Amino acid sequence: MSGVRLDSIVKRFGQLEAVQGVSLDIADGEFVVFVGPSGCGKTTTLNIIAGLELPTAGDVYIGSDRVTDWEPRDRNLGMVFQSLALFPHLTVFDNIGFPLRIKGVPATTLAERVRAVAATVKIDHLLTKKPSTLSGGEAQRVALARTIIVQPAVFLMDEPLSSLDAKLRVEMRTELKRLHASLGATFIYVTHDQAEAMTMADRIVVMNQGRVQQVGPPLAVYSDPANRFVAGFFGVPAMNFIEGELREEGAVLIFEAPALQLNLKPRGPVPPRPATLGIRPEHVRLTPESDGRGATVSLTEPLGDETLVFLDYGGPSSLVAKVSAEDKLAVGDRRGFTFRGDKIVFFDSAAGDRILR
Amino acid sequence: MKERARAFALVRHGVLIVWTLVVLFPIAWMVMTSFKDAGDWVSWPTRWVPFVDFEPTLLNYRQIFYFGGSTDTGALRREQTEQAYNIWKATFDSVVIVTISSVLALLLGSTLAYAISRFRTGGPNYPYTILTVRMLPPIVVAIPMLIYYASIPYFFEWLIGRRVEFFDTYYGLTLLYIATTLPYVIWMMLAFIDEVPRELERAARLMGASRLATLRLVVFPLVASGMMVTLLFVFILNWSEFLLALTLSQPKVLTLPVLLNKFQSAVEGRLYGPQAAIGTVVTIPVVIFGFLIQKHLVKGFSFGMIRR
Repeated sequence: MSGVRLDSIVKRFGQLEAVQGVSLDIADGEFVVFVGPSGCGKTTTLNIIAGLELPTAGDVYIGSDRVTDWEPRDRNLGMVFQSLALFPHLTVFDNIGFPLRIKGVPATTLAERVRAVAATVKIDHLLTKKPSTLSGGEAQRVALARTIIVQPAVFLMDEPLSSLDAKLRVEMRTELKRLHASLGATFIYVTHDQAEAMTMADRIVVMNQGRVQQVGPPLAVYSDPANRFVAGFFGVPAMNFIEGELREEGAVLIFEAPALQLNLKPRGPVPPRPATLGIRPEHVRLTPESDGRGATVSLTEPLGDETLVFLDYGGPSSLVAKVSAEDKLAVGDRRGFTFRGDKIVFFDSAAGDRILR
Repeated sequence: MKERARAFALVRHGVLIVWTLVVLFPIAWMVMTSFKDAGDWVSWPTRWVPFVDFEPTLLNYRQIFYFGGSTDTGALRREQTEQAYNIWKATFDSVVIVTISSVLALLLGSTLAYAISRFRTGGPNYPYTILTVRMLPPIVVAIPMLIYYASIPYFFEWLIGRRVEFFDTYYGLTLLYIATTLPYVIWMMLAFIDEVPRELERAARLMGASRLATLRLVVFPLVASGMMVTLLFVFILNWSEFLLALTLSQPKVLTLPVLLNKFQSAVEGRLYGPQAAIGTVVTIPVVIFGFLIQKHLVKGFSFGMIRR
């Protein structure tokens, strides 16, 4: 078992700098999820860890070894690919046994180990089938079994659940977490799905445009985003952003935007400046309309347990609030609204960096 | 509407049947001639129906399959007047040269195609460059090759002090066939290998397979159908190759197409019967080979056969 360390990894493809100086320490046994939109460099980073791509600059360490220029097969890794990469011409048995066959493991030992691994992921009844006859979930398990069988120190997974339907994806999420707990190996998982990242990760690495935006436990990333990109990436529906001006008057922090003025507790000295306010929908509270600071309900989206309410308050875009499904609201209703002061975050309007933390 | 559809089907089938007859006629004629005795080969009016118009005979086949020099069987009465034209020697030469050159071209071409597909060997235009080799008419190649082949013994004599003959030898013709069919193999295999997902190879590499093991265990099994189709294609090309064999090999090494040609010359006369018999015999292996790998042909000809 071993951790993984990335030291200032840079990867250029011609003009394009896909990965721009990623440094990261992944502890032994940790479940780390790289998340970000497509093209953010997460898969390239994973391929560099795997050795399938060579970094333009920087180093990769697995355990205490500098493996930057090692062949993939020497790195003691297991990888599950987005397409699963099951060999279509081999049976499930031969697919799972493939890595052992390459290593020259004797046939009887090989068969024993294949059966044992197949049993742990509950596919022992499929061993004689060809991959093309498997369902999505079954193929998934075969790919996992093939990876587990060599007992790698580090598991790399490149969006392995993306081909599954929604229900199965949720099931497999749980199963992967369970597998991680039972194997105790280091898992490095790449996805563009924030829900997968939130539910499975010990730590999330948020990437955008080749750079790491934030590293931290899921809830910290959710509630304490480092910048506007991270804040906007996590959460469904997305965080509300309101462009405006910040200034201090006496002991009050004032945020002023079109049709909106907030008086907040001071958070430290701030010169007057443009800023973006961020507030998550669940931190917008509806109140009976009072003193004219109200909004019109323009749309409701019931989710069952909760309802999303789109509010027109006079600003350039509508405000989304997540309220209990028992609040009966209809389009055209008038309500007041408040923000939970401690949940309001501010970003630099231009750079998007968090300010006044 | 229904009637129009029926009329259209009728016309369509009619055209196809006529065309089929046009295509099949030469083959039928060849097979028929191979069973006719000398007098019936070019008789007028044409004798169409076996047993009615003409008495079928196996004479032509006995002649071409004839072993040795014995003449005491009455059935081989024509044999004394003509030189040996039995096909055993030519069949052996053809089978050996064509099989070896086709299989070697397939293996070399497949690995080359892999290199071009995965490493862009030779740059983006390389496949087209390769194909230009085949744009020259064979006769343009044949004469210069003859000069090369005639000079090679002297070159080897200078180099290693021993003459190595290429002209009229098995390996001389085999090498030539490998060289001339390699562009086709590369082109066909490139199309198949491009279809194999890269992730399969990456997976194999991560699991510890070397490049060669990946080729052997993953890539080649996946393009097996394509390889069979390519092999058949190249086999047919070499099996029927005439000009280069005529120019660069014979009389010591004699392939079947060159042998066939001998029956239409001023020296030996026009022996349509034995020629038709040889033609029939020569066609059979290709047909059998085609049937044997029919499963692969169907798969291989529908490109994009690999489920992604």
